[in-house]
Amino acid sequence: MVTASISLRDVGRTFGATRALAGVDLDLGPGVTGLLGPNGAGKTTLLRLLATALPPSQGKVRVLGLDPEVPAERTGIRRRLGYQPQEAGFPRGFTAFAFVDYIALLKEQSQPAARHAEVRRVLDLTGLSDLGAKRIRAMSGGQRRRVSLAQALLGSPPVLILDEPTTGVDPEQRVTLRTVLAELARTSIVVLSTHQTEDVAALCERVIVLDRGRVRYDGPVTDLTGQAAGRVWLADAPDPAASISWRTGTGRYRNVGTRARDGAEHAEPSLEDAYLLLLRGGSPEPETTQEVTS
Amino acid sequence: MTTTITPGPPEAVAARATLVPLAARETRRFVLNPVFLFAVAMAEWITWTGGGGATTEIDEVNGYPAVFLGGFGMMVAYWLTRSMRASEPVAGVTPVTRPARTAALCTVAIVPFCCGVLTLFGFLRSYPVGDAVYGAFSPPARIAVLVGQIVVPSLGGPLLGVALGRWVRFPGAAFVLFLVIFGWVELVTILTLWHQDSLPAAVLRLFSPFAFFTVQADSDGAVMAWRGSPWFFIGWQLALCAIAVLVALLRGAEGPVRTRTIRALAITGAVAVILLVLAATGGFTYAVAT
Repeated sequence: MVTASISLRDVGRTFGATRALAGVDLDLGPGVTGLLGPNGAGKTTLLRLLATALPPSQGKVRVLGLDPEVPAERTGIRRRLGYQPQEAGFPRGFTAFAFVDYIALLKEQSQPAARHAEVRRVLDLTGLSDLGAKRIRAMSGGQRRRVSLAQALLGSPPVLILDEPTTGVDPEQRVTLRTVLAELARTSIVVLSTHQTEDVAALCERVIVLDRGRVRYDGPVTDLTGQAAGRVWLADAPDPAASISWRTGTGRYRNVGTRARDGAEHAEPSLEDAYLLLLRGGSPEPETTQEVTS
Repeated sequence: MTTTITPGPPEAVAARATLVPLAARETRRFVLNPVFLFAVAMAEWITWTGGGGATTEIDEVNGYPAVFLGGFGMMVAYWLTRSMRASEPVAGVTPVTRPARTAALCTVAIVPFCCGVLTLFGFLRSYPVGDAVYGAFSPPARIAVLVGQIVVPSLGGPLLGVALGRWVRFPGAAFVLFLVIFGWVELVTILTLWHQDSLPAAVLRLFSPFAFFTVQADSDGAVMAWRGSPWFFIGWQLALCAIAVLVALLRGAEGPVRTRTIRALAITGAVAVILLVLAATGGFTYAVAT
């Protein structure tokens, strides 16, 4: 008997002289865990480690109690894994159905009737049931993204690793995909990396923030959002006291910083505010203020 | 939540269950490739129609099946192998290992091999084994010459394409290799024309996946049979096929599988060298004109 979970102990990964991950300790269980972080933070490296696509340079990874460094156990993990990479290429000339069917075959679904039914199911889940016969090369970026997600959902895997699953996907489909993932997460471990904080806020109970290869935050989404309470305020101009300010659609400026001015008009913090505050260091006396456009 | 997790069924059992449908899938992709269909059509047309003209020695035509089925087959197998490279981030984390996928790809060579056998029959229909065009070789040796020039290259070309596709990233690698082999065969054939009784020249001529065994000796239609054993040459070619498969399987192999593959590669390489020496020293020990 082993716990259906993922654990990482002092995990690090380097590429030549570049350190992508360092000293990562995590325990992941069923449910949706969001992975946030700036570009180059190590999110994709972490997901590739979990997906057995990459071995760690140091530390130990266990997925469902199995060691990915042992070939037979790695195969055991892969039988229970769905993985959507950040950039999935597709073979020339394949239709959506043919590609997902091919991956289903590689996932050892060798019975044609059952396999085809499963392929139709995941295409339907990702809103591609009408596009199964369409060549992937002729699809839009968002549709290709959904094909990539569809193959990851094959067999309703106990471990689902998704690298930016909603990038390029239209809002309606994003809502549908959130429902699909939430349903799957009742029994499966779902880890998704994204730059869309609204996806994390809507879907995840837990969020991990990576920065320069290290875990900066690991805990409930509500707790991270709560850390920004009283630190977000609106003003008619960028506030020098804020760590970051941007002009909103109303023409007013949203300021995020460790200390609001006295009498400032406070706003309800979002996960994005909390995330930005965390990455800006959250120091009481920020040295610089940077204006960005929203 | 706790669940019982085991590493799953033994890898070999699951791999066997998947290998057949996967091989069937790859074979269908290979067969439906327009380049391969063109190559088969050309090979069969040339051999079953006898090339459309009078032929005084077989080496004027029996290179074509090797070019079309072996050479073009190599290029198609190379493209087929490379075609999934873009999807490697997804395919690479499935339970079917890369060597297992390579094994499935290697099975596509059965198709050109069967086409090669068909071509052999077509060739024998156009040029019966008793014809003078085969030179001084005995009837069984004549069959061996044709098997080595038509059937085995049809098998080996695609296998070489898979090996190349597994190890080389350059998109035009198969075409370049085809030109290199073609150029080498031409070069050593010319060398043999100058030194027909030379053992080193025979070794160089047979140090190739394809070799000529006869040449038209003069304008009267006399045929010169060159030195070398066509039987051992088939052995050498089959050893090259095995090497191509093992080299292809080596990509992505790890642990005991990798160790066994490297060991098999070393043994096959040694056997190949022995067979090459036997091919060059066996058979006629000098050129025979008839």
